[in-house]
Amino acid sequence: MKTPGDALECGHSLAELSAYLDTGEIADPAHLDSCPECQAGLASLRRLSELGNELLTADVADAGSGSDDWMQTILDNLRLELRPGRSIPLRAADPQDTLWETEGSVSALIRSVADSFPGTAAGKCRLLGDITVPGAGITVEVEIAVVYGHAMEERAAALRNELAKVLEVQTELNIQAINITVTDVLELPAPAMTPNKPGMTPNKEDQP
Amino acid sequence: MTEHVEAKSPALADELLGIVQAVEGVSAVYPAQPLWQSIAGAAVAAVTGEQLPLISLAEEDGVVAVKARIGVGSLLPAPQVAREVAAAIRRHLGNVPAVVEVLVAKIDA
Repeated sequence: MKTPGDALECGHSLAELSAYLDTGEIADPAHLDSCPECQAGLASLRRLSELGNELLTADVADAGSGSDDWMQTILDNLRLELRPGRSIPLRAADPQDTLWETEGSVSALIRSVADSFPGTAAGKCRLLGDITVPGAGITVEVEIAVVYGHAMEERAAALRNELAKVLEVQTELNIQAINITVTDVLELPAPAMTPNKPGMTPNKEDQP
Repeated sequence: MTEHVEAKSPALADELLGIVQAVEGVSAVYPAQPLWQSIAGAAVAAVTGEQLPLISLAEEDGVVAVKARIGVGSLLPAPQVAREVAAAIRRHLGNVPAVVEVLVAKIDA
């Protein structure tokens, strides 16, 4: 069945999932229990919402550099990576068995690990290399947005170590490199100024 | 699929569902054949409200093909859980010739 470009394979879109988080309403709620891609999408959207809370603004897209480019990038990648993708073979005990992990499940795992770091949101998560061939060398590419104030080099190193541990346990991929790129630094909105202090008239243009 | 297995399939699929769900580390069992990939299945479900079996069964030339799509928790390695699921299915089928396919569709962090 063909699905529109902005929809997951099951036909639902991130917009529908986002609306479900806001309103609790979706056309077929029972579907959410049976769709791992929608479940992963909901989890990612919840974590993005939490990051929005960390940015202390109701409209997370207004934070950061003053544009919503970073958020749009994250959502674009999320939309792509929530699809099942390629099948990653696993070793089977019986030669008549075929065992797989979906690329989407591993991408969602990577995203989940990255998002679990405070003040961090995963952007692009890619497995480069032929993951359908057992033992083939794979490079993991992860782009992250980090809230200002978190040490970026330490954050990237910690994330790389954690991903290496998790992927070694949860996959049989031959990971040769994990590249972490900080693509956005998200600035906290300036604290509200106190009007009764001299010389501190709130002025939007003065704020970062 | 032979008539014999077709008649037994719903019961066997339910039995295997219980077997798979009981494997340590399995956090969810998803429809082996996603509904949106099966127009006939979607039509039937839309009309009757009946859920398709979560474990897919087919038989060809006396060999039973079993397919399961699972979610895995974070406490055990997903590859190990997938192997345990396949082994548990084989134990339940006994000497019945079978090919087992297990797909990990979700891994909890």
